[in-house]
Amino acid sequence: MPSPPVALTPGLASFLKSLKTNPIDTSIDDLISLLKRRQIRHSRSCATATAYLLRSVISACRTSDANKLIERVQYVGRRLMAAQPREMVVGNIVRRVLGLIRDEAEDDREADFTLSDAGSESQPQTPRVLDDLSESLSGRHEGSDRSSSRQPFASLSAPPISMFSLLSHPEPESSLPGTPASASPSGRLLSQIHNKDIRAEVLDGINEIIDELGQVDDQIAAYALDHIHSNEIILTHTSSTTVQKFLLKAAAKRKFTVIHAESYPNNHEATHATVSGQTPDDDELLSTEAFQKPLIALGITVILIPDSAVFALMSRVNKVILGTHSVLANGGLVAAAGTRVIARAAKVHQTPVVVVSGVYKLSPVYPFDFDSLIEYGDASKVIGYEDGDLVDQIDVQNPLYDYVPAESIDLYITNLGGHAPSYLYRIVSDHYRKEDINV
Amino acid sequence: MGPKQKGGASKRANATEEVEETLQAVVLADTFETRFEPFTLEKPRCLLPLANTPLIEYTLEFLANAGVQDVFLYGGAHSDQLEKYINASKWRAPSSPFKQLSFLKSTSTSVGDVMRDLDGKHLITGDFIVVSGDVISNLPIEGALTKHRARREADKNAIMTMVLREAGRNHRTKSSSVSPVFVIDPTKDRCLHYEEIDHHSPESSRLNIDAELIETHQEIDLRQDLIDCNIDICTPDVLSLWSDSFDYQAPRKQFLFGVLKDYELNGKTIHTHIIKDHYAARVRNLKAYDAVSKDIISRWTYPLCPDTNLLPGHNYELRKGSLYQEQGVTLARSCVIGRRTVIGQGTSIGDKTTVKNTVLGRNCKIGKNVTLDGAYIWDGAVIGDGTTVHQAIVADQAVVGKNCTLEPGSLISYGVEIADGVNVTEGRRITKAPREDEDGVPTSEPEIVGEGGKGYEYIPYEDEDDDETASNASSGLIYNMANLSLSTESISTLSSEISDFGGSRSGSFSTTMSDDDEDHFVHDAAASVYDSLRDSVTSDVVQLELVSLRMTANASDHQVRRAVVSAFMKRIQQLMEGGKGAGEAIREIFGKYREIVERSLFDRDSKAKPDQVDLLVLMQQDLVHRNRGDTVLLFTAKELYELEILEEEAFEQWWADERSSNSEEMRQVRSQSQQFIDWLANAEEEDSSEEEESEEGEDEDDE
Repeated sequence: MPSPPVALTPGLASFLKSLKTNPIDTSIDDLISLLKRRQIRHSRSCATATAYLLRSVISACRTSDANKLIERVQYVGRRLMAAQPREMVVGNIVRRVLGLIRDEAEDDREADFTLSDAGSESQPQTPRVLDDLSESLSGRHEGSDRSSSRQPFASLSAPPISMFSLLSHPEPESSLPGTPASASPSGRLLSQIHNKDIRAEVLDGINEIIDELGQVDDQIAAYALDHIHSNEIILTHTSSTTVQKFLLKAAAKRKFTVIHAESYPNNHEATHATVSGQTPDDDELLSTEAFQKPLIALGITVILIPDSAVFALMSRVNKVILGTHSVLANGGLVAAAGTRVIARAAKVHQTPVVVVSGVYKLSPVYPFDFDSLIEYGDASKVIGYEDGDLVDQIDVQNPLYDYVPAESIDLYITNLGGHAPSYLYRIVSDHYRKEDINV
Repeated sequence: MGPKQKGGASKRANATEEVEETLQAVVLADTFETRFEPFTLEKPRCLLPLANTPLIEYTLEFLANAGVQDVFLYGGAHSDQLEKYINASKWRAPSSPFKQLSFLKSTSTSVGDVMRDLDGKHLITGDFIVVSGDVISNLPIEGALTKHRARREADKNAIMTMVLREAGRNHRTKSSSVSPVFVIDPTKDRCLHYEEIDHHSPESSRLNIDAELIETHQEIDLRQDLIDCNIDICTPDVLSLWSDSFDYQAPRKQFLFGVLKDYELNGKTIHTHIIKDHYAARVRNLKAYDAVSKDIISRWTYPLCPDTNLLPGHNYELRKGSLYQEQGVTLARSCVIGRRTVIGQGTSIGDKTTVKNTVLGRNCKIGKNVTLDGAYIWDGAVIGDGTTVHQAIVADQAVVGKNCTLEPGSLISYGVEIADGVNVTEGRRITKAPREDEDGVPTSEPEIVGEGGKGYEYIPYEDEDDDETASNASSGLIYNMANLSLSTESISTLSSEISDFGGSRSGSFSTTMSDDDEDHFVHDAAASVYDSLRDSVTSDVVQLELVSLRMTANASDHQVRRAVVSAFMKRIQQLMEGGKGAGEAIREIFGKYREIVERSLFDRDSKAKPDQVDLLVLMQQDLVHRNRGDTVLLFTAKELYELEILEEEAFEQWWADERSSNSEEMRQVRSQSQQFIDWLANAEEEDSSEEEESEEGEDEDDE
């Protein structure tokens, strides 16, 4: 048997590669074990893997019934979330996909409903759906001259397929300007074809999520100049690429100083590498970030400090910019251990704390039990395992994350813009559907 | 089906990327040791639960992490159970990270047999990893593997890399009775010498390093602080080496030691990869079982912790204070659950019970007022009200009655029932398994398990040749859970691993000395001399060869004589078989090569003749096993006397020497020579006392 080349240590790259060739159940189990073994561990890697997996799940699912699709995604989602309950992004992506399916299903129902009493006036509570409907229906006759992203595709296909746009993507930000209902559809035709469409539309939606995951850092970085001013002193923590890109964007135009806490013991090596620009080749982050220039190459002064010095230096800091692991619905967040100390120190010195995070990290889960959100890692990072006497006699705990309450945060910057912590609930309700909060 | 699809589909990828070898691994599910008795009487050791997950899961998990694709699993005892388990496990599912998981059965009784069996099967195509089925590690092996491959590229003789974990002087995970010592050249990561030091035997607490090593290497590290987790990265050459050395059994004590020692001969080098971070350990005995369990619970092995839920169906959650609890646990309101505890599904704990440092399996029933501290209670066990368990193991489905006390180190095996109010004393092992020597259900011993109990005390079976078994009556191993220091007694190194080795490397030497070094030299030298004799090489050449061999091995005179005697006798034997008379053959050989014999004796001028006596004794020993040994001895003695190689005194001293008459065979062999000794005594008529002595000897012979 020819042995295919496989990356030696399994990870995101090997998973994505095998996703194309493996049967879907194998891939699900594969991802579960990767999550369990912590071979995929960054938020974004988890989110990407989940999104790709769900895309395969849906395309492999030979059903057009929305309920069956939802059941299937829920089943897979539950297993993934059980595998690593503390990786909340997995649940977030699952919920967003479920939301997509539900939206499509409702669009369908709406369409059916509208079709049943064809020619009726648009209903005020769902204007967008009707817009799409009318748009597509008119598009069938008139051809597409609209700017919708999916419109050209729909009109290029055979006439019945133009119904695609009927079920157009429901993302709030991409909603189209309203158009009056103008055409009367044929209900028979619609009921035949919408069965096919729902999956294609959901897949499109997932592709958009995947695109979003790829672009999120750049989108966030676009806000950098609004928040970082010349000659400021910025304190940051961990080697988060989101933060790095944010700072880099600002550094292109302005001169400022960065104080970087090293986040010992779980992330200090990566932090050192980020500061010095010698990014180790990490499989999971094998993308453009691996080749980006460090801040120092742009003439920014970067000061690396031990975590213990944070409080002492805080009085000189103008702004704290933090990355995060996940954001919770109440405005609190779970981030690398040490974040809470920094947030508290900033509070004492009245320094603003800005958190940069993609919307995909925003979880609809309300944290009732903070402790359960915190993962405990490898004790040997705190004291060496070779110290036999200590190992035997003391309990060593190495929490990987901190819970930071909403009160310590002043501003969230997501790919949608800046929000106060108290406003996050609004974004949550925009992105997730109520019925999916408990998957 | 899965692999095939994969193989076919990824052919395209093959073209673009450079082809990487499939990484193979051999798992020795049985390490041919008996350190987990009595539990291993009924279950293979790699299925014993460690923090409620079978040991083998951790090992396979480690291999999956390492990116291994083909796994060969060698089952030993109870391999049917293991096979059943593996077939039902996730490793056989299509989603298994392994493309191939082969279960190999063999009748092996040692690691050496397994390796030779593997060599015969021609399954190994490239570099492979050998691990025993009880390794727990979160080490990504990439680093070690890359180094190994680089070394192999540079030098074909770099055949093996051992992964070793650095640990301090005292460490709970280290084996405390025998500590391996690695002599390493840190500049090349090369292992130069290996020895095991047994803290309990005074003779072996010494390390012998060849002076040459110190001369030829700039830097040498002597390390005793390493945990040897038996993770070896090997090239296929290793298998052929195992096959060449048919008598090697243990991977370290014999194979490693032997290969390193024979560096001059085969030129193979073995390297070490010492890791300073990540976890790697082996559950080699019950003490290690205890230590590794603690490590897992304290998350040193992260991510291999209970709350990772390695087994599908497990749902452990981590609570405060290293408490891992599955869903569906019933806890009485007044019970106290202390730190470092694992509780499996369906377990119920009664009122006022205290549990700490304990692993409880699934569906256990713990009564009221029970105290569990440092206990390992496996699935389905029942502990009655008011019982106290300290540092003991209670296996699956065992029942301990009310108000019992299990003292530290007691091992209660599968299905044993202990009646109410019984005190199980320290270190006692109780089992219900059928005894080896009798059929049917074993009788219970009420004095151990109480009236109405089931089970009997298991006493480790001691092999006749096992001279260093767990002779100490206490069950030793687990006793040490309590005192982790180097206790003087009670740690046993059960030793199918440490069988007598070197004892019979070559059938022609029946020797009381079985030191390995000696054997090697004697074997080589004897073979060389014998070849020369057969080819009628002149005595100068033979002598030269012998001297050079002797110099290389730094052999003693005694060894030289042994080699010479062995070669001469073999040749004489052969000549006799060829039809020559004994006398003729002996005259021919000794006549031609007298010099060689002479040059091995250095006591011509002194009064005592130890060398000459030694020669005679050796000859006598050698001839015990040969045809017509007695005749040959007589003729040889006569010939040596006539050639004036040996002196009269030497014969007398020999006859008087107790070595020459200490066994029945020896007396048998020398019986014919009696006439020669008598003749000597009569002919010279010198010392009458000598004669008396020799007559005494005669009397003995007659008896």
